[in-house]
Amino acid sequence: MRVDVYTPFLLSMLLAAVSPRVGRRVAPALAARVLAGAALVTAAATAWSLLLLAATLVSAAPPVVTDAREDGRPLPEPVPEAVAFAACALLLFMAHRFFRAARSEYLTRRALRLLCEGHPPDTELIVAASPIPKAFAIPGRAGSPGRILVTSAMLGALSAEERRVLLSHERAHLHHRHGRLCTAVILAGAVNPFLVPVRRTVVFLVERWADERAAAVVGDRACTARALARAALTAGCQEPSHGLGFTDRAVTRRIAALQTAPPPRLWGLAATVLALGALTALGTADATGDLVRLLAPILA
Amino acid sequence: MAGTGPRGRAERRNAGELESEVLAALWATDRALTPAEVQAEIGGGLAYNTVHTILKRLYDKGLTVRDADGRRGAYRPAKNAAELTAEAMHKALDQGPDPIAALQQFVTGLNPEEERALRDLLGGER
Repeated sequence: MRVDVYTPFLLSMLLAAVSPRVGRRVAPALAARVLAGAALVTAAATAWSLLLLAATLVSAAPPVVTDAREDGRPLPEPVPEAVAFAACALLLFMAHRFFRAARSEYLTRRALRLLCEGHPPDTELIVAASPIPKAFAIPGRAGSPGRILVTSAMLGALSAEERRVLLSHERAHLHHRHGRLCTAVILAGAVNPFLVPVRRTVVFLVERWADERAAAVVGDRACTARALARAALTAGCQEPSHGLGFTDRAVTRRIAALQTAPPPRLWGLAATVLALGALTALGTADATGDLVRLLAPILA
Repeated sequence: MAGTGPRGRAERRNAGELESEVLAALWATDRALTPAEVQAEIGGGLAYNTVHTILKRLYDKGLTVRDADGRRGAYRPAKNAAELTAEAMHKALDQGPDPIAALQQFVTGLNPEEERALRDLLGGER
């Protein structure tokens, strides 16, 4: 209990530290999946650990203390009281972050569904007659495949082959349910802020994954890279405020990745990430057992 | 074009995907396009009949209109739904960072140095 209960915090920092490396070296589809899986388990384990720490306060509750004094039993104190109070505060903070993130995800989905109104339900592509060059996937609800929204400005800027790259890219997001994967890591990062770098990596990897799929569909990596460059330049011209040196270089990195061979599926590295996630679950399970053993006599 | 070539093999497209491509091609230009022109534009060894069928289906769904003043058999994209969507999108964008800005876009912003590099990649064209 004294050590185990802190494993999720340590391991989430470790996961955050290795995630960029995994993202660079492992095939994006595999890397995104294992990182998201590990992040979910770790986030749940972190929340549970805090709950355990907070639960140790039970042994300091007045009735429990009086009982123990009368019986002449020593009071168990697995963690200092200050730590337990800090855990309570952190739990509240996490809950607040979680609900804020969940609400923002919900609002995004709702705003997106509004954009589909007025279009026949069985078409994939929704065009917005807008001078702002934009393209994004609108995830469908259970059973429906989702839609692709592209503005007329973006379509007009691309060649036929480049448009095909764009459509294949967005289609890959829908087909592989990238929306869910992103929601999962966004919520995980909200619960455990140590996991924010993992969230950033997964969100980037999902784009890389869709790029690789588009390159496979079109059968031409160079053309895929050109489509990205043209779309980025078109979008960049419209938004000068974004062009002041403050970008995450995501598009440049995606284009660079398309100019080399696709990264291999390194199962060893992927398994390590999953093992990290599993370890947090094991540590927390162990701590739970310890706490139950400690508290059982005084609550009996 | 998008067919087979020395660079790798392209995958086959299904009916729904082709529909999106044809619609995208119509939106990408200001002119009305005939089936033959659409066929030439999107390439990939599509049969004329296939293109014609897709255009007909888009027309039945109300997504295209027949060119009124121009040539026979030429199609333009229908504007109504697309304008409504644009309006809704602009409204959502103006609302602030929450709904759409938080969304995964196909591409994100560039800094000047990246912009130069990308222009080089496209061979100096604008």
